[in-house]
Amino acid sequence: MDIDRGSTSINEEVARSIPIHSGRTKVFYQFTQQNLPACKPVLTPAWVITTFLLMGVIFIPVGLVTLRASRSVNPFSFCFCLIIQLFVVEIVERYDIECVPEVLRGNKVDKYMKAPIHIYYQLDNYYQNHRRYVKSRNDKQLLHGLKYNDTSSCQPEESNNGLPIVPCGLIAWSLFNDTYTFSRGTTELMVSRKNIAWKSDRDHKFGKRVHPFNFQNGTLTGGGKLNPHIPLSDQEDLIVWMRTAALPSFRKLYGRIEEDLDAGDVVVVRLMNNYNTYSFGGKKKLVLSTSGWLGGKNDFLGAAYVFVGSSSVIISIVFLLLHVKNPRPYGETAYLSWNLKSIS
Amino acid sequence: MSGWDRVRASRSRSSQNSAETTRTTSRTVTLGRVQPQAPGHRTIYCNDREANQPLRFKGNSIATTKYNLLTFLPKGLFEQFRRVANCYFLMISILSTTPMSPVNPVTNVVPLSLVLLVSLIKEAWEDWKRFQNDMTINNTPIDVLQDQRWEPIPWKKLQVGDIIRVKQDGFFPADLLFLASTNADGVCYIETANLDGETNLKIRKALERTWDYLTPEKASEFKGEVQCEQPNNSLYTFTGNLIVQKQTLPINPNQLLLRGCSLRNTEYIIGAVIFAGHETKVMMNSMNIPSKRSTLERKLDKLILTLFGTLSVMCLIGAIGSAVIIDRKHFYLGLHDMRKTVEDDQFNPDNRFLVALLNLFTLITLFSPIIPISLYVSIETIKFFQSTQYINKDLRMYHVESNTPALARTSNLNEELGQVEYIFSDKTGTLTRNLMEFFKCSIGGESYGTGITEIEREVAHQIGTKIREVEKPANFIKEKGFNFDDPRLLLGAWRNEPNPDICKEFFRCLAICHTVLPEGEESPEKIRYQAASPDEAALVTAAKNFGFFFYRRTPTMIYVRESHVEKMGNIEDVSYEILNVLEFNSTRKRQSVVCRYPDGRLVLYCKGADTVVYERLADGNEDINKVTREHLEQFGSSGLRTLCLAYRDLSPDMYEKWNEKFIQAKSSLRDRELKLDEVGELIEKDLILIGCTAIEDKLQEGVPACIQTLSRAGIKIWVLTGDKMETAINIAYACNLINNEMKKFIISSETDAIREVEDRGDQVEIARFIREEVKKELQKCLDDVQQMHSVSGPKLALVIDGKCLMYALDPSLRVMLLNLSMNCSSVVCCRVSPLQKAQVTSLVKKGAKKITLSIGDGANDVSMIQAAHIGVGISGQEGMQAVMASDFAIAQFRFLTDLLLVHGRWSYLRICKVVLYFFYKNLTFTLTQFWFTFQCGFSGQRYYDDWFQSLYNVIFTSMPVIMLGLFDKDVSASLSKKYPELYKEGMKNVFFTWRVVAIWAFFSVYQSLVLYHFVAISSSSAQNSSGKIFGIWDVSTMAFTCVVVTVNLRLLMMCNTITKYHYITVGGSILAWFIFVFLYSGIMTTHDRQENVYFVIYVLMSTIYFYFTILLVPVVALLGDFIYQGVQRWFFPYNYQIVQEIHSDEPRDMREMLELEIGNQLTPEEARSLAIAQLPREISKHTGFAFDSPGYESFFAAQLGIYAPQKAWDVARRASMRSKPRLGKKN
Repeated sequence: MDIDRGSTSINEEVARSIPIHSGRTKVFYQFTQQNLPACKPVLTPAWVITTFLLMGVIFIPVGLVTLRASRSVNPFSFCFCLIIQLFVVEIVERYDIECVPEVLRGNKVDKYMKAPIHIYYQLDNYYQNHRRYVKSRNDKQLLHGLKYNDTSSCQPEESNNGLPIVPCGLIAWSLFNDTYTFSRGTTELMVSRKNIAWKSDRDHKFGKRVHPFNFQNGTLTGGGKLNPHIPLSDQEDLIVWMRTAALPSFRKLYGRIEEDLDAGDVVVVRLMNNYNTYSFGGKKKLVLSTSGWLGGKNDFLGAAYVFVGSSSVIISIVFLLLHVKNPRPYGETAYLSWNLKSIS
Repeated sequence: MSGWDRVRASRSRSSQNSAETTRTTSRTVTLGRVQPQAPGHRTIYCNDREANQPLRFKGNSIATTKYNLLTFLPKGLFEQFRRVANCYFLMISILSTTPMSPVNPVTNVVPLSLVLLVSLIKEAWEDWKRFQNDMTINNTPIDVLQDQRWEPIPWKKLQVGDIIRVKQDGFFPADLLFLASTNADGVCYIETANLDGETNLKIRKALERTWDYLTPEKASEFKGEVQCEQPNNSLYTFTGNLIVQKQTLPINPNQLLLRGCSLRNTEYIIGAVIFAGHETKVMMNSMNIPSKRSTLERKLDKLILTLFGTLSVMCLIGAIGSAVIIDRKHFYLGLHDMRKTVEDDQFNPDNRFLVALLNLFTLITLFSPIIPISLYVSIETIKFFQSTQYINKDLRMYHVESNTPALARTSNLNEELGQVEYIFSDKTGTLTRNLMEFFKCSIGGESYGTGITEIEREVAHQIGTKIREVEKPANFIKEKGFNFDDPRLLLGAWRNEPNPDICKEFFRCLAICHTVLPEGEESPEKIRYQAASPDEAALVTAAKNFGFFFYRRTPTMIYVRESHVEKMGNIEDVSYEILNVLEFNSTRKRQSVVCRYPDGRLVLYCKGADTVVYERLADGNEDINKVTREHLEQFGSSGLRTLCLAYRDLSPDMYEKWNEKFIQAKSSLRDRELKLDEVGELIEKDLILIGCTAIEDKLQEGVPACIQTLSRAGIKIWVLTGDKMETAINIAYACNLINNEMKKFIISSETDAIREVEDRGDQVEIARFIREEVKKELQKCLDDVQQMHSVSGPKLALVIDGKCLMYALDPSLRVMLLNLSMNCSSVVCCRVSPLQKAQVTSLVKKGAKKITLSIGDGANDVSMIQAAHIGVGISGQEGMQAVMASDFAIAQFRFLTDLLLVHGRWSYLRICKVVLYFFYKNLTFTLTQFWFTFQCGFSGQRYYDDWFQSLYNVIFTSMPVIMLGLFDKDVSASLSKKYPELYKEGMKNVFFTWRVVAIWAFFSVYQSLVLYHFVAISSSSAQNSSGKIFGIWDVSTMAFTCVVVTVNLRLLMMCNTITKYHYITVGGSILAWFIFVFLYSGIMTTHDRQENVYFVIYVLMSTIYFYFTILLVPVVALLGDFIYQGVQRWFFPYNYQIVQEIHSDEPRDMREMLELEIGNQLTPEEARSLAIAQLPREISKHTGFAFDSPGYESFFAAQLGIYAPQKAWDVARRASMRSKPRLGKKN
């Protein structure tokens, strides 16, 4: 890529030869004569090879750093086989006993896990991004409560028994309501349920004086209930749930264990398996994860960096070999198509 | 009354016999608007407003505006929605207001409204300017007769029947009946430049009966009644009667002064308004030039259709998917009790067909950005700048001598200029200068004149011989039109020649037999000659220099100041009475004048083409005739234009007898023209040959070099000329079109066999025979071509004359002609009529499906210019008709190199890139949305926020692409011309083939996959130390950021040159996105909207993930393109890329700059004059008349009642006239 610097002086000469003085007219002159100073990148083999090498040099380290950052995080997934009827609380324990995999019961934590340990639930095959679902909410109502009564966007869960529902809409209606308690040995682990939603949501999207009203009073109950005495801005489960996920397989933050877990510790989970994912064949997973400076475990970015970086290096080597073995003379007139024809 | 009945009768009659002709011509020339003649006639009472009151004639105020306050919106919108793309977006907007729409209707309506608003503002602005122009015109004062006084009133107050006074140099405010003039003989001179661009003066003559009404007192006595035809758009016809004091006088076009013309050389005239305002002929002629669309634009339509197809497929997949996936088991979707609303129907599992159908509409709205709304606006903006700023202001196309810059009259065809494959060029005035100079002559068998023509020099140069230049004597007379040097004839020296009497006849013939009007002072130095053709002016100038100074003309007399006639140094004024003028026309190919000497001698002087004159020579004088013919051939071969001069003494008896017949013919109503021709034949015989003249038509500057460059660029150049074959071939040699290495095919009708058949005179037989001959010739040539192809022989050239061409253009032979001519690198057609020019052009245009360009300067080229894809007119010469009909006007033929190789090529490249880029960016964007559709259960959920989606096209990606369209250039202008072969890429359309589109589409798919999935997958887990998770809007905003960055960076990758404006706009676009999103997601409005993206960008930017992703994703997305570009450049380089490499180490544009200074030396004064030429000028009041026709009609022809031959564009324009097209102009 050649950036010519001699050009400006020539331009000035020409501009001087023409009775134009102000800079603006000069630019205009260059514009109309299509002679604006410009750099003309020419993608020569050398440039291609260098660019790729450079990309490799930058991307591989970045990727390794990223990977390491996410590797230091240690998640494990617990899979529940959940075939449980809705709202039957008693059975939970039974299914708990039957379905909780071996790992859970009495098994050790592989590695030391530093607090805070984030607890996520993960749902698969759950279209939280479905159009009917995403739009079935009312942000105004969430913020202003009953003062705001145009809830047409909340259909079909906008009112019940002739009274409006707060919070209305399918999203709130289908609130996830499994609960978990954790214990290590015999001591129960403290789970913090605060500060699990984004601050902006709590402060500006959910009203501080808006209390749930007429919620889950219909014939069909979709999910969790809300304590009508706590304002929405403090119902962090709801706030988390209502930040709908982008993909049909998603995680949501449940809470944090504020204690470190040592390797070898046995964590016992007691769960209330309330939420119905059975009907649509969705899977529920519980995830415990610490977090590094980059966030949770996600190898993808790091791997992508490493992959792109190393393939850049490979490509540049391939190009280099090709160039050495079969060089194309730079700017060879014989390669012009009309010259080629005349030769053949 | 019988007058106009007759006119209409003759019109309808001629419409029948012209039916066949129009059938053949209609396909080759664009037909104008048909304007039927209103039946009946109108009666106007002059100078009597009350009497005219009940008739309600239109007033004289005009409005050329398209709209008024009321009609602006409906009409303007209607115009806009005639464009399919706008209709499409209207449909999308309507769809988006329905509950099916996933997006807010505002977001679709706003961009559409923006686009419409911009277009409407442009329309309104143009209309406002037209309105202001109208107002100025309407308020111009004019003197009208009121109470025996001249009262100035504005034009708009003028009414039909008013008597008005127009002063010298004033414009006629309406169509006037010419009553009286200050000139003797009731004559006035008018300039019709605004009508036809011709600057020579025309004469109009009032009826003798009305000559006295000159003073206001007298004029107020005038009470006439005019009965005339209804207003119509025929400029050359007018019939009516003036009834003064119970006397009925016929009036004809000669008494009509048309609005738009101006008065010259006359103090003032008095006229009565006949047609006012919009009923004037000039206004009835105004029409819009049919706009041409470029081929690329038509291909663009196909691309849009393809996109629409893609859209349909995407929607169909989505619709079927949605119907399949919807199920009650997804309890959280609340599908248990469905209501009868569209929202619910759309997801009702009980009626899956309806679900699919409704989702189809949803998805169409969702994916609508796949068709870029701003594409057309952007392209138009770019083209506008290209034509107004680049082409019109290019110093390389600025002609200093005539102070004419290039002019793009349309901006539609810029990129078409980069794909031209055939150029059809006129010869006279285009390749040659049309600056006729009297160069040589032959008098009584003696050849005079010593100069060497440029063509001879050029030919000699080609052969390699050197011609010794004769030193010009110091007292050499050189003026415009006269470049003759021979001491034997000048300054009276001819008296010592062997045959002084015949010399005298020669000079008198030159001085008398013409239709030139003298203008200005009556002295040899200051007089100016106004002539229909420059040849005539040159001849009269020559006579002046030989001592026969023609200085005054009245309708009946010609005054000549003759020197040295009786004895040396003797000067006397002689007046010759002109008795009859037999006008020139293309069938007669000669012009004769019968004049009476002061001593009573009656002589007929005739000048004309050698063929016709020789046929009519008296017997005897064989040797002179033979010698003169030899001279003629010599002159012809040196590229000179020849005319034969002859005279004949007439006896009074014989003349009287003939004159009776002539008058009879003149006043005959049927076939007047034919009869006049016949009568002419009776007297134009037994002529005595005086000699011949040779006029040089110099080659334009730089023509041979230009033609060589163009043919290296692979452009085939055809010369279509009315000239003789020998002249044409010579010119072709001189212009490098033909050279000795070429194999020439000559198809001529001048063979012995054909002559023999022609002598027998049977028309049918002649036609059959010539056709057979032509067929034979064509077949022979084709066979030769085939043979030569196998051994890759020399280049081929074809020369064909008009008569053979006529038969070769016959449908049965057309294919052969086309095949043959496609194999020839140059073709010369000589002796062709304007219509044939157009036919040949459209033969190639339609038969070969190649882009054609016609270039010409005269009225005879108009049909050709309109028939071709691109019409180029030569401006700065005499007439304006060609320019008026053209798409581009340049001052010199050589500027074609710049116009095509530089501007055309660049425009083509740029528009291709712009279109492809638009295609790419919208496809990429929409595809990310499409991939998301797969993961949201095909529900039609939008991935991006409404405003992101709608502003994507309008703001975040719109500016850089305009920079690309304005500034991108692969190689500099000088290199474009140094390697003309680069132009071939445009001809093959290599930058906009389906293959290229497919490559772009492939990378579009690749990028969209990367953009969507990389962002989606990497964001699925917690992204900061607090472990919080992103929602859908966080992910989509991230993805959108990546899309904006990627798409803008991709633009930089496709630029050949990157100016600071690229950086500014690319940086600015990305910055604009961030500023927008900071503001947009930072505020909460009281207005109801789903606060989807509230605070999203701040949340995103608080994570490190954001920065890692924004570095990774665009790089990965562009990696594929980068590898492709590298590989393409390395292994399959385009020619321009190699040229770039060859010259990459040279300082930028140094050569170009130098060339600009050396090649087109612009001194400071010249540059200043260019700057002045480009200043916005006060527009002449009458240039707004948007019609491009009328032709030159000689005063004499009109006086004789001969309708001047109609010109080609007349046929094209005035189809409503249905009169037999008569073509031809001497060429």
